[in-house]
Amino acid sequence: MPDEPPPLLPPEEPLPPRTDLWVAASFLAFSAAILVLAWQMPTYTDQGGPIYNAPALVPSFYGVVIGLLSVWLAARAVRAGALGPTAGRDAPRTNGNSNGRLALAAGLGILFIVGLIGRMPFWLAAAIFVTLFIAAFEWRPGLDAKSRLRSLATALLQGVLTGLLVTLVFERLFLVRLP
Amino acid sequence: MLDSLGQFGAALAHLLSGWGVLNVFWATLLGIIIGALPGLTATMGVALMTTLTFTMGHEQAILVLVCIYVGAIYGGSRSAILLNIPGTPASACSTLDGFPLARQGLAGRAMGISTAGSWLGTLFGILCVAALTPVLSEVALKFQSFEFFWIAVFGIVIAGTLAGGDPLKGYIAGFLGLFIATIGQEPYYNYARFAFGSTDLAGGIGLLPALVGCFGVAEVLQSMRGPAVQAVANKIDSVIPRIEDVVRYWRTILRSGAIGTFIGILPGLGEDTAAWSSYAAARRASKEKDKFGKGSVEGLMAAETGESACVPGAIIPVLTLAVPGSAPAAVLMAAMLIHGLNPGPNLMLQTPEFFYQIVAMLLIADMSKLFVGLTLVRPLLWILLVPRERLMPVVFVLCVVGAYAITSRVFDIYVMLFFGLLGFVLRQLKFPMAPLILGLVLGELLEKNLTRGLVLSGGDIAPFFTRPVSGALAAITIGSILWSIPAFSDRVRSLFRRRAVRPA
Repeated sequence: MPDEPPPLLPPEEPLPPRTDLWVAASFLAFSAAILVLAWQMPTYTDQGGPIYNAPALVPSFYGVVIGLLSVWLAARAVRAGALGPTAGRDAPRTNGNSNGRLALAAGLGILFIVGLIGRMPFWLAAAIFVTLFIAAFEWRPGLDAKSRLRSLATALLQGVLTGLLVTLVFERLFLVRLP
Repeated sequence: MLDSLGQFGAALAHLLSGWGVLNVFWATLLGIIIGALPGLTATMGVALMTTLTFTMGHEQAILVLVCIYVGAIYGGSRSAILLNIPGTPASACSTLDGFPLARQGLAGRAMGISTAGSWLGTLFGILCVAALTPVLSEVALKFQSFEFFWIAVFGIVIAGTLAGGDPLKGYIAGFLGLFIATIGQEPYYNYARFAFGSTDLAGGIGLLPALVGCFGVAEVLQSMRGPAVQAVANKIDSVIPRIEDVVRYWRTILRSGAIGTFIGILPGLGEDTAAWSSYAAARRASKEKDKFGKGSVEGLMAAETGESACVPGAIIPVLTLAVPGSAPAAVLMAAMLIHGLNPGPNLMLQTPEFFYQIVAMLLIADMSKLFVGLTLVRPLLWILLVPRERLMPVVFVLCVVGAYAITSRVFDIYVMLFFGLLGFVLRQLKFPMAPLILGLVLGELLEKNLTRGLVLSGGDIAPFFTRPVSGALAAITIGSILWSIPAFSDRVRSLFRRRAVRPA
């Protein structure tokens, strides 16, 4: 057996076939939605415009291609055993990843954008966000009061400094508008 | 020739006048820091700095962005060598030999090799930019809509095929990016597509907020989800590159420079592919194959030269075809558009001085990288020790500012957040980001040229396949898609094997 050419990048661990099947189904539904919405667009042929300039033409083309690629992905997942009784039952490897930390980071980010920005000066919103973020992620159960206070104090200091410096550098020095 | 050198000299003098030197210094340093910090990428750095440089003149703004780009790609090797964690995806290959060298007490030497390889690689790429850009621009001027349509499709397909991971998911990501680019008013009737009555959506999805989301917010989420990086204390020996390392591996440097530049020219592939390809080629040709992966000087030199040569290489298609060669080059192209420049074949006609300026910018950035990389070793080490809990909220704040500042629309912050979450989910599902970004960037080019081509041909699609260059591009594109189908590629390979065996 001759040597296969080496891949340009190291291979990644593939997802379970059942996950790929769900992804394919989602993209197929997405492509169907594109086609339905494109169908409802005006063609402007009644105004003498050629059909190939119709607003829906290009998105429809993309919708069809995404649909075909999704069918290909689904077929490949089924061939790999996505419909088999054991498919997708493997315990997902965590590799040290934490969905709790992810949810906390995403939640704080959304709070900053939806809850803080626009309701107060930007420097203050940034200071609150940075302080909360650091305090939440550096919170360790069992930490003594002195260490906890020091951690909170440095978080607050960094938060205020970030808010002030970002405002100073962007708004005053580079004349960029802030939200 | 003399005239060209004169113009190049004038560009150098112009760029370094006034605040130029200071801008070069801080931008390169910031680029190296961004590259060195795991979780921050070159694309993110260039995207964020596009906002910061919005009010600068276009020469200084693009100079700062080029310095950030060149610095960040180089900076990634610092954490690759010292922490075994690539600072940017491009420097993942450098961990293979850089970290083993550091563990042998040769961290300084490894950084010296990385600096020399990176400097020479970028220099090689700059020579290619100077030599190839005018020639390719001349060729590209003969292209019509049919060819540009296929160049855009080819970019998406080749990025999907070779950008790493699953080609099929790469194609889906690319066409998803193309679809997103259709949201908002279309060019002929100003009909607002997929706007659902929203005036914000009718204005379209801003490229920069989407990029900041995909590469900034998604990176913050990924970094906070993953395990903490353990910093290793390391005694640093001399970082001054050894002449013998360069002289001994000159063939590797030239080969990696050529591979890196070529991969840079191909749309959407980028520095990580360049590094891995250069590394693989060096290993195949090396007399010391067994040392690779255990602290090979040649391996580290190849990876660093390849990834850094890719940076100027990725700018060549921006200047000649308005098609970016990598994700950071896509943002750089967006920045050029924001500053009123017109990347593509007409650039050499409309603003020929900008070509000399970009060559000068790359050279200045390369020299600055050499200076900062060799002098500020200790401060760069301290920065690696900043815990992510303290770094990532600041990055998130900068992402928000970056998304908002160009058009001052709060809607763009929501776009950034949406693309951050989308980018994160797609990455978890093993969808590569490069084709998605390329789709977003090339969407307008593709649609404009498809419809313009159809108008020119009166609705006939034949010229898209029968014109010589169009036909060749169509054949390569369709061939690339077919090649990614295992049943097809296996059959073709077995056909060739049978033919090779038969004469014997």
